Amino acid sequence: MERNIYAYQCRSCDTVHYPFRMRCKGCGQNDFFEFDPVALPTHGRLLTFTFVHNLPAEYDVARLGLGVVELDNGIRLLGQLDIVEPVMGMEVNGRVSVVRHETYDDFFGMVFTAA
Amino acid sequence: MRDVYAAGIGVTTFGRLEYPLAEIAAYPAMMAMQDSGISTVDQVYVANMGGARLNHQTALASAVVDTLSLTPAGAATIENGPASGAAAIKEGFLAVASGMHDVVLVTGAERMREVNALDATDFVATLTHPIAEYIYGVTLPAHAAMFTRLYMDKYGVTDRHLAMVGVKNQNNAMRNEFAHLQQPITIDGVLDSPEAFTNNPFVAEPLRFFDCCPVSDGGACIMLVSAEVMEGLDRPAVRLAGVGQATDSHTVAEREDPTELPAVRLAADQSFEMAKLGPSDVDVAELHDAFTILEIAESEEVGFFAKGEGHFALEKGETELGGAMPINVSGGLKGRGHPVGATGIAQAYEIVHQLRGEAGDRQVADARVGFTCNFGGFGNNVLALTFVREG
Amino acid sequence: MSVDLEKTLRPVESPMVPYPAKYMMLASGETMVIRQATRDEIPTLLEHVEPLMHVERDYYDCVASRVYSELLGWYRYRVQDEYVLVAQIDGELAAIVNGRQVTPKLGMSLHTLALRRGLRVGAHAFAAKMEYHIDILGHDEVLVVAESPIGFRRWMIEYQLAERFETPHELGGVPSYALTRELFERARSKLIVGRRPVPADLLAKAEAAILPPSDPPTPPMDALAATRAAYDATGTALIQQRRRQERGVDHA
Repeated sequence: MERNIYAYQCRSCDTVHYPFRMRCKGCGQNDFFEFDPVALPTHGRLLTFTFVHNLPAEYDVARLGLGVVELDNGIRLLGQLDIVEPVMGMEVNGRVSVVRHETYDDFFGMVFTAA
Repeated sequence: MRDVYAAGIGVTTFGRLEYPLAEIAAYPAMMAMQDSGISTVDQVYVANMGGARLNHQTALASAVVDTLSLTPAGAATIENGPASGAAAIKEGFLAVASGMHDVVLVTGAERMREVNALDATDFVATLTHPIAEYIYGVTLPAHAAMFTRLYMDKYGVTDRHLAMVGVKNQNNAMRNEFAHLQQPITIDGVLDSPEAFTNNPFVAEPLRFFDCCPVSDGGACIMLVSAEVMEGLDRPAVRLAGVGQATDSHTVAEREDPTELPAVRLAADQSFEMAKLGPSDVDVAELHDAFTILEIAESEEVGFFAKGEGHFALEKGETELGGAMPINVSGGLKGRGHPVGATGIAQAYEIVHQLRGEAGDRQVADARVGFTCNFGGFGNNVLALTFVREG
Repeated sequence: MSVDLEKTLRPVESPMVPYPAKYMMLASGETMVIRQATRDEIPTLLEHVEPLMHVERDYYDCVASRVYSELLGWYRYRVQDEYVLVAQIDGELAAIVNGRQVTPKLGMSLHTLALRRGLRVGAHAFAAKMEYHIDILGHDEVLVVAESPIGFRRWMIEYQLAERFETPHELGGVPSYALTRELFERARSKLIVGRRPVPADLLAKAEAAILPPSDPPTPPMDALAATRAAYDATGTALIQQRRRQERGVDHA
């Protein structure tokens, strides 16, 4: 089942927010629920990355790749990297998968691979 | 607004403390009361981040005001992430400056070593955005590492510069009897020797073990008073002349320019403006070096050096104890330790200590203006304080 | 005759290639030597280990007590094919690691006890132990268990040790993991650090005596101490008192 990550577009001024904000940072409109969900694109460019070695207990891997990707619509997203040798500026494709598992719950987020 | 003075200071040894959290907060408060000679207090602020999550203690201020036998004085707990300390100082400043109170105790404490290192890392990570960041397993070192990579790419900062900050601060801590780390390190040992990789392994690439501050327990306190109260004391007059604070987007990826720390810049500007001073007036500074890259970046954003040139000043030794702009002579977070709630107050402790001329063999000569930067989140909630010695 | 009885009680010792000493630079710039300890050095080691049996944090009490019994058991010829490596900084004991040869192809890692903190001494010592099993003794794999969460993260997760849960480890049957030769080769550049041969004067100093550690882990304060103000394991109260004396101020 393909999942999406949704950003939120203001109905008054079309500013796209990710993550969600209660009040629009573009026009400051103050009405509840005046945002439309829009699926984020999955292709983008890797801006920066790291491999984390000191991880919380939920992660039993030696190291975890994380990176910030600028998606095709300009939104920047933190995601996990399934890339052996990332390079700043490289093109990547994202797919929504499990990024964290706690006791009985799975949490979904974007995992990027080389495009 | 009235003038506000620092009448008393106190700090515990940072490291592993086995006392209950309320006592870690109370201990330095007692020292501050002894230091000033004042034991009548109108209001108590307690800075703490992890009491509820790590130590099973909420409403910490209520416990602290009672264990100090200062009831019925008002008391409030201030939680502002790693900037809790300076945020509590701001509250204390406002209480005295407004005229509402004459004597305010601002104490901070953290007991992080009650849990193991994995849980401590996770606890700090809870300050990140729950959906856009936390679920990915991001940690504060991970944020700092991604920032570092961009800084290296844009300005030519190298891991040698990072190691230089770590070595400077950890060696500075040798002159601080309260510091967590009492172990000098060398560039050879952490970077150049064949065994450097084991001595100094990656925490989050490219940041290494000695680029990151330790996990510490500790407490610190500052007593803020009005001018009238200060006049009655036989202690050097150090005034809290400027307080600045600014915020930025919660999600780090959303920052307009990922190599900038605008909240640091704005907070510093505000603080200097209130004090009617500028960065070139500062004689001694405590900058929030939870990660060595942050000392370099903050030294630029607050205005000590031009953007992208902080590492050149480091190379020239300008930020050493005897240099033109001494930074973190106490050891900073790297050497002194980082009990998150207490750090902002420990930075203020050091500046007051320096401006009083009582800092012994780590005294910065003729220190008249001191500055602190307390960095919350990853640059999304920053406070800056400017202290001035009078008379 | 008691001599024959002793022969029955003693395990038969297999020939084991001795560990060639090596040295490395630590983060502080100091040099550390890792070498094999001899049987007659055990009484000295026991003296240094004993105080740690009373340090009730970070599993020091647990590990130190077990190390004490393992060293003593080997010293008295009641444990088969055990080895002990010591790490020394300027002659002072910094770490003890020990293990056993189970078969000529299987090793059993027992413990890693670090007496000097903040310099990754334990990491160096553990790596030396793995080197001894795989590279020098020629074992195909080494069984490893961890007592602390940090130990588990550093060894089991970082080196991606293979699971051997069906094999009970000697240390109480907890689930075992194994460092296989294949995993070792993959991590060789990370695991094999240090230089050989040790310069003669450095080795002579290390072999002359195993000096007591100057800054060992100490027991935490007794939280129920009635006179808490007088008992301050961190030294804060004393430091403050000294400061006040220097300033010539007395707020008593």
